[in-house]
Amino acid sequence: MREGAISKHVSRFFMYAFLVIVSFISVFPLYWAFISSCNNTQQILGGRMIPSTHLMENLRNLFAQQDVLTALKNSFATTLLQVVLSLAISSIAGYGFEIYHDKWKDRVMSVLMLAMMVPFVAVLVPLFQLFSKMGLLNTWVAFFLPSLATPFLIMYFRNSARTFPKDTIEAARIDGLNEFQIFVRMFVPMMKPTYAAAATITFMNAWNSYLWPKVIMQTSNATTMPMLVSNLMGGYVIDYGVVMAGVTICSLPTVIIFFCLQKSFTNAVAGAVK
Amino acid sequence: MTNATPAPRKKRFWSMERKQSAAGWAFLLPATLLIVLFSFWPMFQAFLTSFKRGLPTALQYSDPLYRNYAYMLKDKVFIQSVKNTFTYLIIQVPIMLVLAIIFATLLNNRDLKFRGLFRTCIFLPCATGLVAYSMIFRTLFTYDGMVNALLMKMGVISEAINWLNDPFYAKVVIILGLIWRWTGYNMVFYLSAMQGIEYSIYEAARIDGANQVQQLFKITIPLLKPIILVTAIMSTNGTLQLFDESVNLTRGGPANMTITMSHYIYNTMFTKNPNFGYAAAMSFVILVMVAVLAAIQMKVGDKR
Amino acid sequence: MKKIVSLILALALVMACSLALAAEDGKITIWTWDPNFNIKAMQVAKEMYQKDHPDVEIVIEEVLSEDVETRVITAASAGDISNLPDIMLCQDNSIQKFVLNYPEVYAEITGKYDFTDFAEGKLAYSVVDGKNYGIPFDAGTVVGTYRTDYLAEAGYTIDDLTDIDWDRFIEIGKDVKAKTGRPMLSGQAGAIDTVLIMMQSCGASMFNEDGSVNFVNNEACKKVLEYYKTMVQEGIFIEVNTWDEYCGTLSNASVVGTVNGCWILGTIMGVQDQAGKWALTNMPSMPGIEGATNYSNNGGSSWVFTNGTDLDLALDFMGMYRNVDFYNEILPSTSAIGTWAHAKEGSNYQAGNDFYNGDAIFAKIVEYTSHVPSNTTGAYYYDAREALGTALTNYINGGDLASELQTAEDTVNFAMGF
Repeated sequence: MREGAISKHVSRFFMYAFLVIVSFISVFPLYWAFISSCNNTQQILGGRMIPSTHLMENLRNLFAQQDVLTALKNSFATTLLQVVLSLAISSIAGYGFEIYHDKWKDRVMSVLMLAMMVPFVAVLVPLFQLFSKMGLLNTWVAFFLPSLATPFLIMYFRNSARTFPKDTIEAARIDGLNEFQIFVRMFVPMMKPTYAAAATITFMNAWNSYLWPKVIMQTSNATTMPMLVSNLMGGYVIDYGVVMAGVTICSLPTVIIFFCLQKSFTNAVAGAVK
Repeated sequence: MTNATPAPRKKRFWSMERKQSAAGWAFLLPATLLIVLFSFWPMFQAFLTSFKRGLPTALQYSDPLYRNYAYMLKDKVFIQSVKNTFTYLIIQVPIMLVLAIIFATLLNNRDLKFRGLFRTCIFLPCATGLVAYSMIFRTLFTYDGMVNALLMKMGVISEAINWLNDPFYAKVVIILGLIWRWTGYNMVFYLSAMQGIEYSIYEAARIDGANQVQQLFKITIPLLKPIILVTAIMSTNGTLQLFDESVNLTRGGPANMTITMSHYIYNTMFTKNPNFGYAAAMSFVILVMVAVLAAIQMKVGDKR
Repeated sequence: MKKIVSLILALALVMACSLALAAEDGKITIWTWDPNFNIKAMQVAKEMYQKDHPDVEIVIEEVLSEDVETRVITAASAGDISNLPDIMLCQDNSIQKFVLNYPEVYAEITGKYDFTDFAEGKLAYSVVDGKNYGIPFDAGTVVGTYRTDYLAEAGYTIDDLTDIDWDRFIEIGKDVKAKTGRPMLSGQAGAIDTVLIMMQSCGASMFNEDGSVNFVNNEACKKVLEYYKTMVQEGIFIEVNTWDEYCGTLSNASVVGTVNGCWILGTIMGVQDQAGKWALTNMPSMPGIEGATNYSNNGGSSWVFTNGTDLDLALDFMGMYRNVDFYNEILPSTSAIGTWAHAKEGSNYQAGNDFYNGDAIFAKIVEYTSHVPSNTTGAYYYDAREALGTALTNYINGGDLASELQTAEDTVNFAMGF
C-alpha cells in the first residue's frame, strides 16, 4: 500500500513536470512576442529574452503609422458575425444530417465534404469574380459569407449529434415540441461544450484569416488586424518592436476568447457531475 | 391501448415521418446552398480552367485537353512537392493526434491542479499570429540559435546543425512547427468530447481496478472515435493543403526541398509567370488525393 | 423584424455599390506600401501638388507589395479592374511580367510623360516592347558600405575598396578575416540577390535579348557563381537563413559591411550608436568580363497606371517626380533616392551626412545610378531567379556547375514551353 502511494506520488510528479515543460514550450513564442513588444529592433534581432523599456515608444509608433482602431473594429465585427452565423447554420445542418439521416441526406453530406478538399488558392479567382459581380467588395458580408457553412463544422456537429440521445427527442415530441424547438431547446443547451469548442476554433480561423480578406477588402477602411500586422513587415526597414506590438495586440483577443470559452467546457463537467 | 384506432394512427405516423424528413431537409438547406454557391460553383469553374492554357485573361482550351495534367508528371518541382507533403503527412499527423489525446486525457483529470492554466498554455500556439510564430521559430533554429546551443550543451550533438538550410533538418523544423501549432487545436476537440463522457464510467472502471492506460484504451478512445475520425480527416486534409509553414518557415527552401503542393500552386499563380490552368489542374490532383484518403479513413473508422 | 433585416441588407447593398462607383472627377487613388518610405514620399507629393490644385482629392492606401500583385491578378482574371487605383507602385522586377500577362490593366504612357534625365538602367525595367509603362521612383543602386574601424584594424581604408575588382576584394577579405575574424559580407542563403547584383554589374542578364533564358553559355553567370562560392568557402561571405538574420549581422556588426541596394542604408543608419563608423563606396567589378562595371542595381520600384482612369490628371500629379524640391524634401525623412538625374541638385543631396562622417553619400549614389548597366527581366524573371537559386544551392553543396546550370536552364525552358 505504501509503495503504491509512493509510486503514485512519483508518477504525479512526472505528470506535472511533463505538463509544465509542454506548457512552457507552447507559451514561449507568444511570451517572446509580448516581451519583444517592449524591445527595439536591435534587441529583438539580438535575441533578448527579457523586456526592456520600449513598449510605449513601439505602441506610439504603431498607432501613428496604422489605424489600429479601425482594424480592430473590422476584425471584431466580421469575426463575431462569422462565429454566430456560422455556428447557427452549421450546427443545425449537422444536426439535420445526423438526426434525420437517410440515404439521400448521407449522400448530400458526402458530396458536401468534397468542398473542403480543394485548396483555397484554386477557387480564389472565381470566388472574387462572384463577389465583384454581386457588388460586395469591401463589405463585411464579403468577409464571412464564403466561410459561413464549412463542411468541417457540419461534420463536427453531425458527429457530436450522435451522442444526443434519441429518447430525448421522442420525449420532446410527445411533449408537443416541434422539430425546430427540439433543436433549440434540447440540443443546443445540452451541447454547450461542443459549441464552445466550435466557437473557439471558428473565432480563431476568422480572426486570423488573411488570404481572402486581403483580396476582397480593398480600401484602408476595410483593413483587418492580420493585414495590418503584415503591412508592418512590408518596408525596406522593418521596425521589429512595432511589429511585435502589432502581433501582441492581434493575439490578445484570441487568447482572451479562449480563456472565456473554456469556462464553458468546465461548466459542462460540473453539470454532468451534479 | 396500442391496437385502438389503428387506421388514423398509421396515417399520422406516416405524416410525422414525412414531416420529420422535411424538417431535416430544411435544417441542412441553408448550409448546403451556401456551400454550393461559394464552393462548388468556383470549384466547377476552376475545373474548367484546369483544361486551359494561355494568358491569364485569355485562357483557351489546351490541345490535348489533358495537357496540364500530363505536364505534372514531368514537373520535377511538383513531384518534389508531393514527396514533401506526404513526408509531413505520414510523420506529423499520427504524432500530433496521439499527443493531443494524451494531453486531453491528462487535462480531463478532475484532480489535476491548474488544469485551466495548462489547457490555456497548450492551446496558445494556435492563437499565436503567423508572424510571431515564424519569427520565433526561425530565430530559435538559426545556426547560432538557442536550439543548437541547448543541444550542444546537453551533448546530444557535437557540432551545430544548420537547421533551416539542410534538406533533412528543414523538414524536421516544419514538422516540429506543425506539431507545436496544431496539437492544442486538436486537443480542444477531444476535451470537449470528453466532457460528454459521464465521469461515473471512469469511477466505476477505477473501482474495477483499471489503470489510467486501460481506461484510455477501453473507455476514452472508443467513445471518442467519431471525433478522432473528424480530426484525422481534418489533419490529413490540412496537411495536404499545407501552405503557411512552407511559406513562412522555410520559403520552400533549400532548393525546393521543403515546398508543399499548395505553396507551389500559389507560386504558379502569384509569384512566377502566372499559369492558372496548371495551378487549377494541380489543385484537382490534391482534391483527388484528399478524397481518396478521406474515403479510406472513413471506411476504417466509421462503422455505423 | 423581417422588414428591418431586408431594409438593412438593401441599404448595405446600396452603400457597397455607391462606394464601388465613387470614382468622381478630380480624385486620384494610390496603392503603395511602407509608411516610412513610399507612402511618406507620396504624402509629400500630395501636399506639394495640392498647394496648386486644392480641388484634387488624393487618397493614399497602404497596400503591401504582394497584396497589390494579388489584387491585380484576381481583379484582372475576374475581368473587373474597376476597383484598381489610378496609380500603383510595382517592384521593378515584376513590371514586365505584369504588363505582358495583363496588358489590359496597365496604361501605356509613352509620349505622355517626359522621361528625359531618368537613369537609363532604371527606366529599362518599365519599358516593354519599346513602350513606357512606368515612372521610376527609388533607386536600388548598389553601394558597398563597410565599417571603417574594422578595416583600419586590418590596415585598410575605404579607398582600398573603391574601384577594385573581386580578385582584390577576396584578397582583402582573407586578410581582414585573418586579422579581425570577421567576414566581409553576409547574405541570405538561397536568395540570390548578391549573385544577380554581380551579374548586372557585368551588364549580364538571365535572359538573352530575344527573351530566351541564358545560363549555360553565360560566361558572366558562371564566373559570378564561382566567385560567390569561393567567397563562401573562404568565409569572406557568410550565408544566413533569413532576412531578419541578415539585418542582424549588420546591426550587431558581426560582419565588416555589405554590398546591396542603397535602401539598406535605412537599416544601417537606424543603429544610432554606430554613427561615424561607416563609409560608402562603389562595389567591386568582375575581372575578365568585357563591359564589367563597379555599378549595379538591386530592388527599387516604379509607379504604374491603371487603364480607364483619368490618366491625364494622374500624370499631371506625377509631374512631382520631375521636381528637385520634391526629391529634396523626401530625402531626410525617407532616405528614398530618386533616379531622376537632377535630384542630386537639391541641398539635402549635396549636404554631408553625419552618420557617414560628413560624406555627401546621396549625391554619390545618384551619380552611381547613372552608370548602372541595364538588364533584361521579362515575364519569366522569377522562374529564372528560382531556378538559379536552386542551382546555386546545389553548386555550393558540391554539385557540378555546368550540369546545375543546364538543369536550371531546362527548368525555365520547361516553364516557358508550357
